[in-house]
Amino acid sequence: MLKAIRPKNKVIVMYLFIPVLIYVFTVFIPLIAAFYFSFFKWKGGPKKTFIGLENYANLLTDKVFWSSFGHNIYLVVACIIGQIGFAFVFVLMINSRLVKFKGIHRTFGFFPSTISAVAIGFIWKIIYDYSYGLLNYFIDKAGATEWFMNVMNNGQPLVWKDMTSHIMLIVSIPLIWQFIGYYMVIILSAISSVDQEIFEVAELDGANAFQRAVYIIFPLIKNTLLVCVTLCIAGNMKAFDHIYNLTKGGPGTSSMVMALYGYKTSFRDHNMGYGSAISIGIFCCSLFVIVLSQQGAKLISKDKGGAE
Amino acid sequence: MKKKLLSALLSVAMVSTMLVGCGSTATTETESAPAAEETATTEAAATDEATTDAAATTASSEVTYKGDIEIMHYSTAEEENSKNGGATAFRYAIGEWEAAHPDITLTQNVLSNNDYKDKIATLAASDSLPDVFMLQGMNTANWADQGLILDLTDAIKNSPYYDKYTQSYFYAFTADDKQYAVPALTAGTCCQVLYNKEIFKAAGFDEFPETWAELIAAQDKIKAQGVDYVMGFANGDAWQANSCFLSTLGDRFTGADWTYSLIENTGSKFTDEAFVNALTATKDIFASGLFNPDFNSASQQTGNDYYVSGQAASVICGNWDATYVYTNADPELIAKTGIAVLPQPDGATASQKTHDIGMGYGLAINPKVAEDPEKLAACLDLIYEITGPTFADYVAENFALTGLTQTADVDLSAFDQFTQDCYTFNENPGCEIYDSYIDSAVIGVLNQDVQAMLSGQMTPEEVAEETQAEYDSVYGN
Repeated sequence: MLKAIRPKNKVIVMYLFIPVLIYVFTVFIPLIAAFYFSFFKWKGGPKKTFIGLENYANLLTDKVFWSSFGHNIYLVVACIIGQIGFAFVFVLMINSRLVKFKGIHRTFGFFPSTISAVAIGFIWKIIYDYSYGLLNYFIDKAGATEWFMNVMNNGQPLVWKDMTSHIMLIVSIPLIWQFIGYYMVIILSAISSVDQEIFEVAELDGANAFQRAVYIIFPLIKNTLLVCVTLCIAGNMKAFDHIYNLTKGGPGTSSMVMALYGYKTSFRDHNMGYGSAISIGIFCCSLFVIVLSQQGAKLISKDKGGAE
Repeated sequence: MKKKLLSALLSVAMVSTMLVGCGSTATTETESAPAAEETATTEAAATDEATTDAAATTASSEVTYKGDIEIMHYSTAEEENSKNGGATAFRYAIGEWEAAHPDITLTQNVLSNNDYKDKIATLAASDSLPDVFMLQGMNTANWADQGLILDLTDAIKNSPYYDKYTQSYFYAFTADDKQYAVPALTAGTCCQVLYNKEIFKAAGFDEFPETWAELIAAQDKIKAQGVDYVMGFANGDAWQANSCFLSTLGDRFTGADWTYSLIENTGSKFTDEAFVNALTATKDIFASGLFNPDFNSASQQTGNDYYVSGQAASVICGNWDATYVYTNADPELIAKTGIAVLPQPDGATASQKTHDIGMGYGLAINPKVAEDPEKLAACLDLIYEITGPTFADYVAENFALTGLTQTADVDLSAFDQFTQDCYTFNENPGCEIYDSYIDSAVIGVLNQDVQAMLSGQMTPEEVAEETQAEYDSVYGN
């Protein structure tokens, strides 16, 4: 950068210091506080009893916590495939010369991302409703009720929110639906930053759409996709509001995720100490998953000799 | 590598932002009730009576405090608009008191019940509770132990309306023989059956069937009258099966002594045979095909809506649902709606015709208020008034409901048959509501596990064992 227009280091540091301060105040201090509280038996009042690592010992054997962790991982996998995968395919479709009204497609694709998660929860609650829901209405109109009953629910009525064996799929669909547009925007901008001539040359050389997608577009935007994956993991490890509004983690704990379990323990069961331990547990699990994914990303980059 | 680690840490930090701010998003509605024009008579006149000992011994007419009082409750304007009797009278009584005490600035923080539970838990955790607030029965023992609520035993005895209090309602707010709150709002059943008399008559029942076996055997006959389901129910929030079903059904199997022993931790266990039988009966009844198929995941009003829309021949519900049905159903349907107690399950002999009833919330005072005796006297006066005759007469006259304070005989003749039936229904023998007494963590596990049991994921034995394990860890057995 040119020396002449570069502000003094002091000025840069001072400006950068403001967001850091906010960040420390809203993220690190609560994190440290939660870590501190997790060593106490604290039933939500001024009285706290120090119990050392007992909360963590309980956490390690807590079936609900670990099944919630499993559900988070399910969400991560489902959303990487669903959100980023579909977004990639949709972007390729929108970019195709055959598609008209690209602006409208982009706008409507992005639209669900702008709706609050609470509203999404309610919308899908209505879609899944047993008696008045859209889904059952269309299945009924298509005359496929019996088929769905046999395939999805062992011949039982189609009460979507009560299908224990498919409940995670049922709660991930709204999440996937909402965020496809978000990843579409990121991937679109990545593709548009690539020199368009490359695609034209490929087309002239006779590469078909599939080959162009796999051998040209995909490697060129690989790094952006890896960012998308990281965002997707971070987003789904903290999944809360959709599920809270749809099923509240039920029936039983079959759609419980870690954040929801921490919330329930802290604020509904008034068990703040253990709730704090759960929060730290979430932090560690997320750290583990993200480090793992970063290592995986590094391996992928190395294998294919990707530009770093 | 350093960069990688940093980016990993940053991504994790993004995740961890959820650690902050859960439950602080509740919207608050701060409002000051409109000053009623009429001046209250007793309070204004009696200021000349000298009182020195303000704490605990004051009667209603000796308020000398000038300043702020903060009260938090959940009787919202929305509830008043939907003709909820308790909420309407509560807001009325507060308005009356406020008008009678112009020197006191009463700040009301009113939230919906769900938001209220989150907010009050957060305030309790940070030891910053308001001066006067609604205490849920199940938190009494824990919060008393934490020193979050003031011992009101003497204050209650000194209440000007003490003779008129229904003493049994204090049980939920008692810990170690001390009383910590004055039961507020209305006393209503948590478990009753509303049924369409015409349909049941056509199916051969002049009265509602007395046993589940009879009801289950007759279900085809009842459905043949043009309804989809015999009974409506909604357990989507997981507490309904406990509060509006199991508390009553459990009592039929275990009897009251078992419940008291469980509350006081003197021997009863969830794993006791009687309670496991109650769980088994619950599972079987819900699996019998009587109910709407989505009973286990449908949200609060769904069960009532099935009844209102004529899809279900009856509905199991609490008194608040009865209000909902009353305000939303066709008057013709209300005219042919009967009210019955929950039928008797096979093998249950400990009690009959019981229904769980009580007052789930009481008004409690923050111990910090006691540092200023004048303020304490004012807070107590406020509590006496909004649980006293002002409230009780208002709900009796306008809604045929009862509160803590007994009123002179209510003239029911002005009300329709349904409202009268609701009033007389409460004369059936009462039993306790589990979630008014047992620690919230134990209730959390029980609710969750019963829901899992009803969806076929757990056996009654597993539910009993898991709940007992939580009970043992909470009560330190």
